[in-house]
Amino acid sequence: MKINMKRKYQASILVIVAAVFAGLLFYQGKGSSKIERYEAQFTDVFDTVTQIIGYAESEEAFTKQISELKEQFDYYNQLYDIYHDYEGVNNIKTINDNAGKEPVTVAPEIIDLLKLGKEAYEKTNGEVNIAYGSVLRLWHDYRESGTQDPENAALPPMEELESRAVHTDIDNLIIDEEASTVYLADPEMSLDVGSIGKGYAVQQVAEYAKEHGMEHLLISGGGNICVVGAREDGEAWRVGIQNPDLSSEEAYVERVQLQDMSIVTSGNYQRYYEVDGKQYCHIIDKDTMMPAEHMASVSVIMQDSGEADAMSTALFNMEYEEGKSFVESMEGVEAMWILNDGTIKYSSGFSKYLVQ
Amino acid sequence: MKKNDVIMIAVIVVIALGAFAGINLYGEHNTKDAQAVVTIDGKEYGSYPLAEDTIVKIESENGGFNLLVIEDGAASVEEASCPDKICVRHKPIDKTGETLVCLPNKVVVEIENGEAAEVDASTN
Amino acid sequence: MAKKTANMGMLVALAFIFSYIESLIPISVGIPGIKLGLANMVVIVTLYLMGAGPAFMLSLVRIVLTGFTFGNLAMMMYSLAGGMLSMLVMVIARKTKLFSVTGVSVLGAVFHNVGQIIMAALVVENSSLFYYLPVLLVSGVVFGIIIGVVGSVLIKRLSRKR
Repeated sequence: MKINMKRKYQASILVIVAAVFAGLLFYQGKGSSKIERYEAQFTDVFDTVTQIIGYAESEEAFTKQISELKEQFDYYNQLYDIYHDYEGVNNIKTINDNAGKEPVTVAPEIIDLLKLGKEAYEKTNGEVNIAYGSVLRLWHDYRESGTQDPENAALPPMEELESRAVHTDIDNLIIDEEASTVYLADPEMSLDVGSIGKGYAVQQVAEYAKEHGMEHLLISGGGNICVVGAREDGEAWRVGIQNPDLSSEEAYVERVQLQDMSIVTSGNYQRYYEVDGKQYCHIIDKDTMMPAEHMASVSVIMQDSGEADAMSTALFNMEYEEGKSFVESMEGVEAMWILNDGTIKYSSGFSKYLVQ
Repeated sequence: MKKNDVIMIAVIVVIALGAFAGINLYGEHNTKDAQAVVTIDGKEYGSYPLAEDTIVKIESENGGFNLLVIEDGAASVEEASCPDKICVRHKPIDKTGETLVCLPNKVVVEIENGEAAEVDASTN
Repeated sequence: MAKKTANMGMLVALAFIFSYIESLIPISVGIPGIKLGLANMVVIVTLYLMGAGPAFMLSLVRIVLTGFTFGNLAMMMYSLAGGMLSMLVMVIARKTKLFSVTGVSVLGAVFHNVGQIIMAALVVENSSLFYYLPVLLVSGVVFGIIIGVVGSVLIKRLSRKR
């Protein structure tokens, strides 16, 4: 009897050991199809670095996802381009080239963007004006030659800015949704969608990703960040807000955590040129026709990346106090300002996004 | 407790201390695997361990260059042909996912296998 | 046989309750796997009073029960790996007669942690988990001594009653 019992126990021990190994193998098997985090970057759209962080079962699967999203980005990049022609594509440049001549038939993605542009104009009392192209173009050309040849960098002459500023009436942008055409009634005017195009495109690509089953994604179009869901581990995405002092040891002045949200920053430190030792940034205030100098940067958190893009441009063109009361008057908008002396200001609800 | 118990416990504690020391050494070795990966227009150009001080002249197809300097376990761009010099003014990077970007030359320097980054991305 | 079954039932219940109590008092030091090991006390007492077989069965049943009740499959796999390795080592350690109850308990606690960490490293496919090893070894020693001292008192009293 005793020997019998012993056998039984030995048998059960064997069973247990077998069970442990079976469990191990089971888990190993699961491990091989584990979801991993991947990152991709490309530099050829919207004149900036586009970064995508996502999750996939394998590198091939991720590369496939990215190439789909890249295709989308390429498409929007061509549509919203104001400097280049693309064969068989009517883009914003085509519209500009036909100003005062004839309506141009365009893709619905352009109509939607321009409608957003008109909306943004109204919401921001004209601080965001996509019909400001003629003035921006002049600044662009002076900035380009100023960076290429710093010795001879100069500011655009005021008379020329003034004569161009006459041709920036957004009411002369005529959108015919039925016919899907766009017409600029003033032959001297042109569109520049730089203040909203990138953000809008990022939002559209994020929507596309969502529709195609990507549940955890971070898309950054040159710092225009839109996150889909949370990270795969359930934690919110963490985004650092760049320190305007690029040479500082502290890369970020604040860190925010986001889930299904967008954050866009407008700053004076990324795109600028120097004239006589003074820096002139790329965001032009319509009131002075000169680069805005109210602050070092402003970051906006909103659900929609396109709206956030417009909002950050608008706030960058306003005094902090004015911008603050503007933000507080709206729902679903939070902002953080870094003033020229480095002081940081927050809208009342911003703290809920801050990483503690 | 028997004498054997005490000996056994002492042995385990010694192993623990040994493992602790070993892990610390391994940990240092681990950051030695950190690399600065350079891509030009998305194509890999080369990768350089952060543990070795080096100077690399990254030459891009448009004739431009960026001088990548690896020193004290961090990568930075000391000189560049691009007009805006944003990459040159950027502070040295050493954490996974941090990047130095030179748009005119389409050069991106990214850290891989380094210390864990504190954020997923940054807005600027 | 009936008495043995009844005893086993009691012991399983006791181990189960200890596991529950332990889940109520989390020792949070930021390192997973550090715990008192109250349930192991029951296992050790069983090992000394009833032998290796019943102790094995007890440990297994306890882990499966608590795994289903308080944890998930993953946690159960960890406990199983830790519990079984610990059991094996304790049985061998007792057979060699080199160690006292406390010594056996310490070995049990230490190898419980070792087993869990090996399992975790296999699952996560990340050897960086071994960073926790030194801490878990020391905590195993400390808690193993506590459990062993209490356990040896229990064993003495219980065997006297018999």
